[in-house]
Amino acid sequence: MKQAQTKHQPKRYGMVIDLDKCTGCGACMVACFSENNVPFKEDETDKRLSITWMKVYKVTNGKKFPDTEVCYFPRPCQHCAGQHEGHSPCVSVCPATATDYGMETGIVSQIYTRCFGCRYCMGACPYHARYFNWWDPVWPKGMERYLSPNVSPRMRGIVEKCSFCYHRYQLARNKAYTEGRRTLKESEYQTACTQACPANAITFGDLNNPDHAVHQMAQPDLHHHYKPKNPHAFRLLERLGTNTKIYYVSSREWVRKAGDNYQVPLTTDSHGPENSGH
Amino acid sequence: MKLSRRCFLSLVAGGAAGTALSPLPWKLADDSSIWSQNWPWTPVPPDGEGTYTLSTCTLCPGGCGINVRKIDDRAIKIEGAKDHPLNDGGVCMLGLSGLQMLYGPTRIQTPLKRAGDRGQGQWKPISWEQAIGEVAQKLGDLRGLGKPQSLACIAAKDTGTVGRLLRRFMSAYGSPNFFRMPSVEDAYEAAIYITQGAIGSAGTDVNNADFILSFGSALLDGYGSPVRVFRANSRLKELNGTVVQVEPRLSNTAAKADKWLAVKPGSEADLALAMAHVIISNNAMNQTFIADQVEGFEAFARMVQEKYAPETAAGKTGLSVDVISEWAMKFASARRPLALYGKGKGQVPGSLKEALAVHALNALVGNINAEGGVWALPAYDYINWPDIETDSVAAAGLQTPRMDGAGTDKYPHARYLTHRIAAGAEGIEALLVAESNPCFSLPNVQAIRTAFEKIPFVVSFSSFMDETAMNADLILPNHTYLERYEDVPVTAGVTQPTVGLCRPVVEPLYKTRHLGDSILQIAKAMKGTVAGAFPWEDYESCLKLTLAGHWETLEEKGVITAAGYAPGGFETASGKFMLMNDDQGAVYMADDVATEGNGNEYPLVLIPYDSIRLASRYVGAAPFMIKTVSDAVIKGQDGYVEINPETAKTLGLADGQLATLTTPVGTAKVGIHYDEGIMPGVVAMPRGLGHTAYDRFLAGKGVNVNELIGFVEDPASGLDAAYGIGAKLA
Amino acid sequence: MDSALIPEGVKRCSLPKFLLGLAVVSLVLAWGVYAMLLCWIKGLNQTNMNDYYGFALWIWADLAVIALGGGAFFSGLLKYIIGKDDLKYIINYAVLIGFICYSSALLILAIDVGQPLRSWFIFWHANVHSMLTEVAFCLSCYFAVLTIEYIPLILENRQIDKVPFFHNLSHNMHGAMAVFAATGAFLSFFHQGSLGGVAGVLFGRPFAYREHILIWPYTFFLFTWSAAAYGPSFTLFITWLTEKITRKKLVKDKVIYLLAKISGWMIITYIIAKSLDTLYWMYNTAPAEGFKWTFFFENNPFYTHWVWVAEIILGGFVPGLLLIIKPTRENNFCRVTATVLGILGVSLNRWVMVLQTMAVPVLSFDTWAMYIPSWQEVATTVLPVAYGVILIMISYRYLPIFPQERELNPIEPVAPAADAVEA
Ligand SMILES: Nc1nc2c(c(=O)[nH]1)N[C@H]1C(S)=C(S)[C@@H](COP(=O)(O)OP(=O)(O)OC[C@H]3O[C@@H](n4cnc5c(=O)[nH]c(N)nc54)[C@H](O)[C@@H]3O)O[C@H]1N2
Ligand SMILES: Nc1nc2c(c(=O)[nH]1)N[C@H]1C(S)=C(S)[C@@H](COP(=O)(O)OP(=O)(O)OC[C@H]3O[C@@H](n4cnc5c(=O)[nH]c(N)nc54)[C@H](O)[C@@H]3O)O[C@H]1N2
Ligand code: SF4
Ligand code: SF4
Ligand code: SF4
Ligand code: SF4
Ligand code: SF4
Ligand SMILES: [Mo]
Repeated sequence: MKQAQTKHQPKRYGMVIDLDKCTGCGACMVACFSENNVPFKEDETDKRLSITWMKVYKVTNGKKFPDTEVCYFPRPCQHCAGQHEGHSPCVSVCPATATDYGMETGIVSQIYTRCFGCRYCMGACPYHARYFNWWDPVWPKGMERYLSPNVSPRMRGIVEKCSFCYHRYQLARNKAYTEGRRTLKESEYQTACTQACPANAITFGDLNNPDHAVHQMAQPDLHHHYKPKNPHAFRLLERLGTNTKIYYVSSREWVRKAGDNYQVPLTTDSHGPENSGH
Repeated sequence: MKLSRRCFLSLVAGGAAGTALSPLPWKLADDSSIWSQNWPWTPVPPDGEGTYTLSTCTLCPGGCGINVRKIDDRAIKIEGAKDHPLNDGGVCMLGLSGLQMLYGPTRIQTPLKRAGDRGQGQWKPISWEQAIGEVAQKLGDLRGLGKPQSLACIAAKDTGTVGRLLRRFMSAYGSPNFFRMPSVEDAYEAAIYITQGAIGSAGTDVNNADFILSFGSALLDGYGSPVRVFRANSRLKELNGTVVQVEPRLSNTAAKADKWLAVKPGSEADLALAMAHVIISNNAMNQTFIADQVEGFEAFARMVQEKYAPETAAGKTGLSVDVISEWAMKFASARRPLALYGKGKGQVPGSLKEALAVHALNALVGNINAEGGVWALPAYDYINWPDIETDSVAAAGLQTPRMDGAGTDKYPHARYLTHRIAAGAEGIEALLVAESNPCFSLPNVQAIRTAFEKIPFVVSFSSFMDETAMNADLILPNHTYLERYEDVPVTAGVTQPTVGLCRPVVEPLYKTRHLGDSILQIAKAMKGTVAGAFPWEDYESCLKLTLAGHWETLEEKGVITAAGYAPGGFETASGKFMLMNDDQGAVYMADDVATEGNGNEYPLVLIPYDSIRLASRYVGAAPFMIKTVSDAVIKGQDGYVEINPETAKTLGLADGQLATLTTPVGTAKVGIHYDEGIMPGVVAMPRGLGHTAYDRFLAGKGVNVNELIGFVEDPASGLDAAYGIGAKLA
Repeated sequence: MDSALIPEGVKRCSLPKFLLGLAVVSLVLAWGVYAMLLCWIKGLNQTNMNDYYGFALWIWADLAVIALGGGAFFSGLLKYIIGKDDLKYIINYAVLIGFICYSSALLILAIDVGQPLRSWFIFWHANVHSMLTEVAFCLSCYFAVLTIEYIPLILENRQIDKVPFFHNLSHNMHGAMAVFAATGAFLSFFHQGSLGGVAGVLFGRPFAYREHILIWPYTFFLFTWSAAAYGPSFTLFITWLTEKITRKKLVKDKVIYLLAKISGWMIITYIIAKSLDTLYWMYNTAPAEGFKWTFFFENNPFYTHWVWVAEIILGGFVPGLLLIIKPTRENNFCRVTATVLGILGVSLNRWVMVLQTMAVPVLSFDTWAMYIPSWQEVATTVLPVAYGVILIMISYRYLPIFPQERELNPIEPVAPAADAVEA
């Protein structure tokens, strides 16, 4: 039998989030809490001390009633690739290699038992996707029964973030391998937030695979650091060179401008404060 | 012994060097870091065999299918059930948080009897025998006194085997005083009955409409069967359909809508009727439908022409005549337009005039009983139980009028006027509360709590220590939905008769008992005809017998739908849609419902709003949900109100400051949050906060809007039609 | 009582007076230790840091003390390598100050990391691309060098020196000091630079990010330069302060003027380079990342244009010129003022590079994040200051830190007036 000599192409897992569809309902946030044993405290109203791997920002166009418009930006870790694969803002600075770039998947991992809590990676991340465990995680008595064995709860003093539900990838890959397959089907590896989204606003898959919906929706330009070719698609702060794997789609121009300074001509006050997020 | 200085110093230096070169410090460094990686106080979830259990979510009326992931006997994750006809894999954050309720600290773990004063939270655990015995004894005594009608029951729903068992118990016992928690279904059912002669819920075919005109319905915050509506909205985005949201506040729905029509609170009926005026004036209605299937069109046309000109509505709504005309015509010229009634999630029935007006818009464009339109959905008739034999006591009790007056000549359109329970409390000697939390979620909740104080005997069947359970004398805790079997008929806007099956994902964790079994056992303990009405051994056998032929499909698929159900004709005397008759004429000609609180003393209008990140019905929001609530809504323990900066500035209120909000019903300390997305003169506050019961993750956060808002009886139906209340901020 | 330990030919205050002073400072130290224990036992929730301020007061304190401790490596470089031999009269003190600064930095880092017990992973699992790895390696190596440079000084204590082994050890170490000084200068160049690199490599933080020369961003060179420039100023200032407190002249003016002049020229050249870097950043770097430079100084209650005036003019050009111009350099008031302005200027630079970097919103829909340290953070930052004061007190009392002290303060055999100048 002829063995096809295919060039090995690494996966590039990523998301396309349709901001026209996203309703800001926050189900993705809770799906993530629940999937990944994210802790909670009595008071979570200081949002800068609140661990939310997926965070939904509320953004307004800054206009007065009744011309006000609102858009929601769900923000998981952007799994930045940087200007050369693996040069993510956070990975490149972690002194202990406690956060790493998966060359096979494009997933930025976090090794909880190695991280020693210097928080340099948090300073490096422009998207505030990283969270520090300022407290010991404590579950009310009895509630620890719902904790998933697939994701270890994190101890105090270390950093955590969205992993693209990496354990789901591992489970799917193990299953495929035992069935003698080397590749995963698109549906076999889906993140918890994607799956839960009641609005079907999140699409997840391999950006390198032309058969996957994310590739078709974002149309990443392989020659320009995967910049989207779809005119309604953009990435957060394209100009920073973070080369992220979360693409956003919006039919509204002000929304695209709010998310990506690439779209703003430099002559204007490119980075106005008119948009406020919660 | 004398140690020379040299010797001593050499010893110290040598010792230090020796220790550093020995394995000891390295071993210690390694061990201590390993210890830090395995702190005994950081839990390590045990691994085991992974399985999935298919079930149905009952945390809201949505009835989504859920698939619960388990490791051995622990439930670890709730996911949406793929291919379910309502949610197809999607799930909301309340549904996702179910395990925090199952395993949470607010569970009631055993029957409890009040030990201290009401509401003090002092309880004595008692056995189930004693609990059932005490209820049966008390209820038996009332019957002995010939006052069966003094027993009342409040439940979240009147359908399904459990709803029907409760109602059957009330009938066999001899009381007409069964109450369903108020909802938009009350008004929608009435409107459908009046216009179509049909009894049933409103099925809204959001999945096939291409233009949705929503009169304040929180399409993206929990209206109807929430995930189903979300999916419909996303479908419209894909197909370039249109959503128009009529609402004074830039809600999530308004934010995502193609057009937000910001109208003054309470003017929705005027807008709907002005739009009808525009459609009729432009002859843009569905002529065939009007000609063939509508009765009373001319009278209706005359009525809107006389009273609801766009010019008048412009003043009332704050919209311009052009905007009203433009969107009325866009609605009429859409291929499959659909107008939706019911504000927010639909927890307040609202005004009958508005319900009829919205329904009339649908009739004008001919989408009643049509794809992409609305139709009356009859109850799924799988419950066929033998007749009850009532004894004389019951027969006499059932002859007495309902204490809320529903269905009497005064309130012919209402089946339940549950908000009036406070007024009727004098006559209640005993109250059963099932799967609802009236002491938190009814308007003017202080009055409800005061009324509860007057009721000598309150029994709660709650699984959680909620406000109502706190105010009960006896608690007979139900299993949670993740520990029990139950049929879940879904009415929330669905267009096909749908019943889900809720089944035990885990064995009951505590000494709780199925509400169905509690009812059966209380009835049996009462002997006689009451016991005779319940020929089943236990709830599970009752359920299986009732579902009979459906059981297997339900076990396998988790849900049954009467597939291919199509609405028939109208059940009115003429067989036509009754667009206008004398009754309706009176409704349309009546004035709008006014809020409590006049404009001089209360210059602002407080409106409650619904958020899908909060739970405001039977269950309270789980810790995960509260965690997602914006710091513009709660900050620390304080609840914030949305107010337009312009209004706030004229009142001298700064963004972020605390202020006192006063309404004719109550007073609360609130934070000020400037928001450009709300109409000047209006303040908004979410439902579902300000709990006094539940755990520290929920209790004491924000303000319960029901402490600030009372009910306003709709002159046409008697139902609660309050959309807000006069308020002042200082 | 402890006179046997005190260097010969110098006068020190009475032991009770010394112990009283020590006790007062120890109280402050104890407060810091208490806060430190709170942070270790209860965790970093004791601070006002948050997910926007992963780096805050402590990292600023680290960068600042290391910049100020730069006097040690630069004086060493000047004396041993460049051959400014006069600096030998102040080098001991520069080393001591450097030792204090670096040990303080390490202590603060041990409090700052969330998992101190695992902090050695930075060596074990080292990521060679990380500036912090470079910092960790160079910092610990240089601290070892400083310790080696400090040890001979300890060995010169009168009693220890009596032991022939230590006497010889001290002698030999002195002989080899040029090697250590060279090593120290080399290491310092890299860790001072890598501390600058910590902020400069953050390409996700347009306020801090700078273009690179080879693998190092401009801030790498600016930090080394500024440490070499302002470190000597700090040595001069502390020497002046010590002289004020002891009410003695400890170092000859010639030495002081020499170091001041060098510091002045370094500051001036540094601040010119810094200004050019700033202009380049304003008109190239920031716009390339999509930002107009004014954005970083608007819409917040604190970080406005005064930052530049303070850092570049008041903390750069002014002290630089004061130290370069002979009359002002040799005027006590002007020189000390210049060193103080310089210290504040370089500290402000470190503050801005850490704290303002964290404060600036990057996502357009985010807001400025402001921060005020908790008392625990302040106490743990004051802790090393108290520790430094104690170490200086002990070292000054028992070690011959200032070689010129005897010459400048001869003890008159029977002079009743001597009591008045006793310290
Ligand atoms: N004890 C006890 N109480 C119960 C129940 C029970 O089983 N036991 N069942 C409960 C349940 S599930 C329900 S649904 C309710 C049903 O109770 P109701 O809601 O009272 O039911 P109907 O009597 O059908 O009420 C419909 C009303 O519409 C009016 N009506 C009829 N035709 C027209 C018309 O053409 N135009 C107008 N304007 N009005 C019209 C009638 O006068 C009537 O008052 O009862 C509830 N109450
Ligand atoms: N004509 C008419 N049809 C209706 C309605 C209506 O108002 N009028 N209401 C509709 C509504 S809203 C509902 S919720 C349903 C529910 O209505 P039904 O299907 O009739 O069920 P119940 O309300 O439980 O029964 C009502 C009366 O039947 C007796 N009964 C109680 N239990 C049983 C039983 O097990 N079997 C039998 N045969 N009788 C029983 C009691 O004496 C009680 O007064 O009916 C719908 N159909
Ligand atoms: S779950 Fe979906 S719709 Fe809801 S906030 Fe997240 S992405 Fe948006
Ligand atoms: S978003 Fe932040 S945490 Fe995620 S890869 Fe990018 S820099 Fe790292
Ligand atoms: S906090 Fe942890 S992951 Fe982040 S840089 Fe430090 S060691 Fe690496
Ligand atoms: S991909 Fe997984 S880990 Fe990341 S936000 Fe979504 S659910 Fe959370
Ligand atoms: S929408 Fe309602 S039924 Fe569906 S998951 Fe959410 S709470 Fe459950
Ligand atoms: Mo009913």
